[in-house]
Amino acid sequence: MATARHHIVIGNGVAGSQAAITLREREADAKVTLITLSALQFYNRYDLPKVFRGHRDWREFLVYPPEFYSDNRIAVRRATRVANADTHRRVLVLEHKEELRYDMLLVASGGRSYLPEELSEFRPLMHGFGSFEQAVNVAKVLPEGGRVVMLGGDMIGLDLARTLVDTGHRVTLVAGEHTFWPHELADEQRALFIKALQDMGVEVLEQEVVGAIAAIETGAKGMAARRVVFAKGSDVYGDVVMPFFGLVPSVEFMLGSGVDIERGLLVSPELRTTNEHVYAAGDVCQIWDDAAHRYRFYYGWKNVRAMGDIAARNMTGAAEPFVSAQDEILHLSGDGRIHSPFWEYE
Amino acid sequence: MSNTDIQISICGSAGDGTIAAGDILRRVMADIGYRVICFDVYPAEIRGFGKCIARLRITDQQAYSLKAKSDVLVSLNDSHAIAHAGELRECGALIYENTSIVAIAEGGHMSSHVQPGHLPYPVAFRTLSEKATGANRSRNIVALGFIAGLFGLPAEAFKKAIAAKFKSKAAVAASSVAAFDAGYDAGTQRFKLDDVCFGKPTATVIPGATIEMINGNAAVARGALDAGIDNFFGYPITPATTIMEKLASEMPKHGKRLVQTEDEISAIAATVGAGFAGARAATSTSGPGLSLMTEMLGLGIMAEVPAVVFVSQRGGPATGMPTKTEQSDLNIAVHGGHGDAPRIVIAPTNVDGCYRCAGKAFEMAEAYQTPVIVLLDMYLSNRYETVVFPAHPPFEPNMSRKLGKGENGDGYKRFALTEDAISPRAIPGDKGCMHVVTGLEHNELGRPSDQTDMHLAMSRKRHEKLKAALQHPNFTCHKRFGDEGAVDVGLLGWGSTFGECLEAMYKAQAAGIRCAAMKVVMLSPFPAEAVAAFMDDCRQVLVPEGNYQGQFANLVKANLARPLTSLTRPTGAPVRVEDILDEIRRLAALNQQAKAA
Amino acid sequence: MNAPLSPTGRLPRTAQPVYLDDKLRQIEESGRLGYRSKTLPTWCPGCGYFAIVDGLTSALRQLDIPNEDAVVVSGIGCSSRFPFFVNTYGMHTLHGRALPCATGVKTANEALTVVAVGGDGDGFAIGGGHVPHAARRNVDITYLLLDNAIYGLTKGQTSPTSALGFKTPTSPYENADQPLNPLLMLLSYGASWVGQTYAGRPDHLKRMIVEAMQHRGFSYLHILSPCVTFDKTDRTYQNLDLQVRELPASHDPSDKLAAMREALRPDHPALGVFYSEQRHTLGDALDGLVEKAGGSNAAREPAALKQAGKKARRR
Repeated sequence: MATARHHIVIGNGVAGSQAAITLREREADAKVTLITLSALQFYNRYDLPKVFRGHRDWREFLVYPPEFYSDNRIAVRRATRVANADTHRRVLVLEHKEELRYDMLLVASGGRSYLPEELSEFRPLMHGFGSFEQAVNVAKVLPEGGRVVMLGGDMIGLDLARTLVDTGHRVTLVAGEHTFWPHELADEQRALFIKALQDMGVEVLEQEVVGAIAAIETGAKGMAARRVVFAKGSDVYGDVVMPFFGLVPSVEFMLGSGVDIERGLLVSPELRTTNEHVYAAGDVCQIWDDAAHRYRFYYGWKNVRAMGDIAARNMTGAAEPFVSAQDEILHLSGDGRIHSPFWEYE
Repeated sequence: MSNTDIQISICGSAGDGTIAAGDILRRVMADIGYRVICFDVYPAEIRGFGKCIARLRITDQQAYSLKAKSDVLVSLNDSHAIAHAGELRECGALIYENTSIVAIAEGGHMSSHVQPGHLPYPVAFRTLSEKATGANRSRNIVALGFIAGLFGLPAEAFKKAIAAKFKSKAAVAASSVAAFDAGYDAGTQRFKLDDVCFGKPTATVIPGATIEMINGNAAVARGALDAGIDNFFGYPITPATTIMEKLASEMPKHGKRLVQTEDEISAIAATVGAGFAGARAATSTSGPGLSLMTEMLGLGIMAEVPAVVFVSQRGGPATGMPTKTEQSDLNIAVHGGHGDAPRIVIAPTNVDGCYRCAGKAFEMAEAYQTPVIVLLDMYLSNRYETVVFPAHPPFEPNMSRKLGKGENGDGYKRFALTEDAISPRAIPGDKGCMHVVTGLEHNELGRPSDQTDMHLAMSRKRHEKLKAALQHPNFTCHKRFGDEGAVDVGLLGWGSTFGECLEAMYKAQAAGIRCAAMKVVMLSPFPAEAVAAFMDDCRQVLVPEGNYQGQFANLVKANLARPLTSLTRPTGAPVRVEDILDEIRRLAALNQQAKAA
Repeated sequence: MNAPLSPTGRLPRTAQPVYLDDKLRQIEESGRLGYRSKTLPTWCPGCGYFAIVDGLTSALRQLDIPNEDAVVVSGIGCSSRFPFFVNTYGMHTLHGRALPCATGVKTANEALTVVAVGGDGDGFAIGGGHVPHAARRNVDITYLLLDNAIYGLTKGQTSPTSALGFKTPTSPYENADQPLNPLLMLLSYGASWVGQTYAGRPDHLKRMIVEAMQHRGFSYLHILSPCVTFDKTDRTYQNLDLQVRELPASHDPSDKLAAMREALRPDHPALGVFYSEQRHTLGDALDGLVEKAGGSNAAREPAALKQAGKKARRR
């Protein structure tokens, strides 16, 4: 008597949710489980700036309604953390000591916000924007017309800056090497884009490298909530301080499992790790680029979704290589507006 | 209606402190100013790790039934709580332990049973408890703290209730407060995704009145005490035992006397004896005991002696289901015992009613010189409601028909045939009025007589005198709710089922059905006129009750020749609002069809 | 001191003649007629119960208990008709239930004098379950057990005290059940006063009833009495006259084992006080609970009876 196969997807982001759908389409009888840290089903992080346009109900953010998953027999384990993976026994151990056996495993846990070492002590005073909960918290704390001091300024942050400016808030960007991440720009180009940001309405402070921030303090009563002090001694006040220093892959639970990890999980063009039953997709993996002879990340919603789909297909018998679905070029349009493929999501 | 209507279920195993947590929670809610109805589920065995559920519904205006779906579900033990995950409504909060000491089999943790619409809140109860108190025994208090923090409930009210609950154990009280704080901090920091919202409580202040969270049995005991009960004789039986236990500890404080007898027959016999001697006396029992008592009830009826019997029904027949509720002792309460033996039977529909009926029973027993049965059930006995107790107990001290001047002396007629069939009553100690009460048929002097005319006259007396009970002062024998005048569907309910009837009626009205509900509290004598008038207003009459035979429906049919639909549900659990509502809809649809045809 | 009766139950011819007028005057002056009700007993002529009614009314007179303060509680049976024939309050209850009803009356009002009356069937068949508890609780009542070893009212069936071999309509061949030993039972149940007397010795009977009623606590008085209508062979006056004896003069009523030994000779029933001890009554215990709970016992004493000073006889 054959028991149905059980495929597990870790991560319910763009890659993970697509993968689950594809897995269900490809194997009607398999058990498909999605594990996510989030208390909510899949929503687009790119939608989060909507909280500044009056949207605070999570029901407005879900990409698929809750019943979608049960209708498609995709078990979604929310608010669940994976402790580690035993790839020999093909077992995932969850934080609460439950063990799940899998036939094929897809790691699509994405990336979490990176915070430089020197700023880690100020973490409690800063506000993240990586989840629905964090987004709502910022929207509650930021007063009308309030000021956001943005550190770093990756594309996710700059996307948020657009909305903040548009909704009557003020943004002060402390620019540095992470501004425009993951785009890499030459100096002259950079100056142009900085100007474009300023035209957009963002106040840009060009400091030197990270480390120029000496302290972040809580403001006095009646004053602005935060004060950022620079090494030079100058300072800037704001209502919230938000770090946008790019993403690092969430791979902690895969350490010691035997699959190769550099910064992210290393995968073949078919998105398979060094373990034949473990695949990876999205911001968590580095894919082998034969032409450039190195492993590299691919960002962007279209890329990530394609990765989820292909990984799922390859987990169920196919052998298709991932091909980049979007370019990664930041450019200015004729009217001086910034266009980035990472801002195109639909 | 209510701007707060939240039902919280806490599910765990015996030993997790589930019931204790529910106890604290309901006290807090009542203290804050909400109204609460609470019905816990206990494990059937004394020892072991059986399932416990503390379930309470919190509202502005007192509710009389629990909802089919809860708004918050807390699991203190997944092995028991998983089966109840489906009880949580969409967008409700599901709170559970997220750490474990031992490995859990696949599917053995609540996280895999969270349904699509639920919002999950895994909390490290064990860790928080250990950090705060050094042991993991306070997980239930941590959970309470978490609830308070998450829903923004006042921490002080909880700490007050915790201190009160553990007032005799200072160390436990202190560590419980620490555990509460740990949970509270965790709760305030957690992002609230569910839409469970506590509205502002309405603080109704009635001068001199006290508000208490109390269950049916405690309310009965309180009613008896407030009515000045002198003697209680009882025998333990589930689910009535706590009435006796409460009285055992309270009555001596008031100089009153309680004796545990060797069986139910002795209990009712002593009660009748004490009643003969002029005391306000009572006993309490359940179905099996009532069966035993029926012969002696007959003596009380024949001898026209006051006696009060509190009966809490449970699953029957025979030993039945001792820890489950049912409404199947109506027959024996109203008719039990040989001969034409009429008595008064009153059946409260909620906990406040338990208090009032208990006290009024003594008035009626004295006024109409007869045994009175107060008929409740396990659901009422064990369920908690917020009850507002008036400053002065609403009970009359002595309602005996006193002797006039000329009635003393030789030939005192204890059973004088008067116009209202109630004779003036002397008690032992009254000079010159010696008489013997007997179970034999007798004449006005009380001497045995088997003459036809006398038996007819006395039978008539015993039946007629009770009719006055239907007009007993300050007592609600029956009451109508809902739409006035002609309605599509009318509900006739009694006892604890009436709470569900009301809820179903409100829902039916909201769905556009003209609907009314009548509760019948006095089952014997039967308020035929009032019920008939009600039934005449209804195109369809639905009689829901928790027994198999439709005992109340049969009682209605026996008294009135009007059609009705009987809805019987002997499940050992309260009749469900959904079942009643479905039937209302079906009957309303029948009405439509009939109109169209 | 009684003159010994002859085997035929008649007074020996050597005794003094009794003149009717004198007797009637004696009875009237005694005042005990005030305790007789207007209802004439329904018992058969020669029934031992007549003597017992006389005994109780005499006792009430002797102890000066007002009619309205006495309550006679009975069950069902010939003996249970008792309450109708005394001019006091009374409860004629159900078969076997005199003791719990009496307990209720006494618990409700300690100032009342409560006498429970019943027969051997009422007390030890259906009512048997109540006896140990009334005894062990030491309810302050007097229990007059009228033992004719038969069910008279229902026309002569065996009772729990009927002798082995006794023939009745329900045991036409013979009674196959070993009879109970009520005295032994009551002694082991912890009754604080146990005595036995005989309807054929009216003076002894009267004295014993008075002693039983004077005793503070549960007093069990076993009264041997013939059923002249339905028992012509076993428990007759003739047989009982020969069988009964006095308790030995040396008998110590505080010696329970000695009492039990005397009780273990049912063929030779002893008359007298078998056992007597003083201990807390149920009323005392309940009063004690009130004090323990911080309440007050003052409210229970009816003021009227306090004035009359009836307490004296109980101390």
